[in-house]
Amino acid sequence: MEELGKVHQLIVPLLGHKMTFNLDAIAYTWIVMILLILFGIFSTRKRSMVPKTMQVLGELFVSKLYDLTEDALGEKLAKTYAPLTIALFMFLVLCNWIGIIPHLEEPTKDLNTPLSLGVLGFVIAHYVGIKSKGIKDYTKEYFEPFFIMMPLNLIGELAKIVSISFRLFGNIMGGSIIILVVSHLCFSILLPPFLNAFFGLFVGAIQAFVFTMLTIVYISVQVK
Amino acid sequence: MTLDIEIGVKIATFVGAGISMGMGAIGAAIGEGYTAAAANSALSRNPDNAGDILKNMLVGQAVAESAAIFSLVIAMLLLFSSTPNPQPITIWAYLAAGLCMGFGAIGSGVGSGFPAASACEGMARQPAAGRRLTTSMLVGSAVCQTTSIYALVIALILMFFDFTKQPFGPTWAALMGAGLSTGIAAIGPAIGEGKVAGACCEGIARNPSSAGPITNLMLLGQAVSETTGIYGLLISFILLFKGFAATPDLAPAFGLVSAGLCMGLGAIGPGIGEGLAASSAVSWLGRNAEAQPILIRSMLVGQAVSESTGIYSFVVALVLIFVM
Repeated sequence: MEELGKVHQLIVPLLGHKMTFNLDAIAYTWIVMILLILFGIFSTRKRSMVPKTMQVLGELFVSKLYDLTEDALGEKLAKTYAPLTIALFMFLVLCNWIGIIPHLEEPTKDLNTPLSLGVLGFVIAHYVGIKSKGIKDYTKEYFEPFFIMMPLNLIGELAKIVSISFRLFGNIMGGSIIILVVSHLCFSILLPPFLNAFFGLFVGAIQAFVFTMLTIVYISVQVK
Repeated sequence: MTLDIEIGVKIATFVGAGISMGMGAIGAAIGEGYTAAAANSALSRNPDNAGDILKNMLVGQAVAESAAIFSLVIAMLLLFSSTPNPQPITIWAYLAAGLCMGFGAIGSGVGSGFPAASACEGMARQPAAGRRLTTSMLVGSAVCQTTSIYALVIALILMFFDFTKQPFGPTWAALMGAGLSTGIAAIGPAIGEGKVAGACCEGIARNPSSAGPITNLMLLGQAVSETTGIYGLLISFILLFKGFAATPDLAPAFGLVSAGLCMGLGAIGPGIGEGLAASSAVSWLGRNAEAQPILIRSMLVGQAVSESTGIYSFVVALVLIFVM
């Protein structure tokens, strides 16, 4: 049980501050990125009218998520932001699935990964909002319905980052804790594969999808 | 004396973990059962679409379980993470963390059941809109979990933030108040938001062509219903980080606990009430798409009026913190 909450950290002193690197999360993120690039290369290398397995898989991902983005954002914006949603979903799903391989851990289990992705979505959503409405209308929205509601609107907006990132973090962390505890209790006999299938593959895929959908929804709320 | 404190911290972790997981198990189970019941009725109405309905039921239940998983995270962290520097204040912080997450998980478990149930029933009625229904269900129930995520955040802050430098005098009460405020305030808005999300799935099943406006109205209604939950979060942050002057008196300390209780309990009613207002607006938009402007207006006015009691609680809580 002592694995719980153990993190490999590299602490570098810099100008009187301490910079902390979570080595596990960084290493697994790089593994995920390499796998994604390999997937990209293999699914586009031999393109043909009659697609092979890898090409079918790649086209499936892209077309399904493109349709979802188009549903929420409309045709014009989807062209710009569909690549973002597709990349986000594929990255998250692989991040959540990589934990089922023994000795590897989900990068999303480290709060820094979901939090930075949440901030990314937030910044993009507000950039789109300012671009489409203009800075004046965008600022005016914070003072509605009354002037005094401004602090609450601001908190409500910032709370979106917190909720989107902690949802992913809590679910993945919870799943890995359950797997760890139950595997420990049953001496890793029989049960862990099923737990990994449920919490790793199933919940991981759902949460990746929810994160991606919420990012799109946040963008579409700003555009509206 | 140090031994006593260590034992006290141990007791606090056990009690906190028990409360967190025990109360956290209530809501999610109710929500999942409600989903399964709706799936049964949907199956008997349209057995041909059994595959999609069952798949949707499982996905909806998995999402509804998130709240219980958050409780489990807090319980496990309480049980297994070591405390490097046990102080009397740590005991109260751990108790408050357990209470916060335990209360906070009830509402969103129940609430997430509503959209999942409506989506299952909608699939029986309108199999062609299946994908759209699943997406709306996921977005709706994800939003209705927001307040339980606030509870998770406050619980994590209570556990891992260093409060030992603040005076024990009123700080123990401030921590308790902070936990109770966000935790109890999470119940109402989550149930209300769940109602709205359920109405959204119902409306889309009735009229798939106006899915866009229905989803937008759902998001607006949910955002307003969540306001009282945000009040609770705000009170918690004030209690956690204001930094109170040391005092041995019990009266001001109990004022801080009461501020948390006041805001927490006061947020339950408005959260549910605003959710009911928004859910009826959303479901009637599905029946009559042309009435959109007047529906939005009456929904917002109704919600504003039903929120007034939550604002009273907010004001009393602020008075208890800053004036008393």
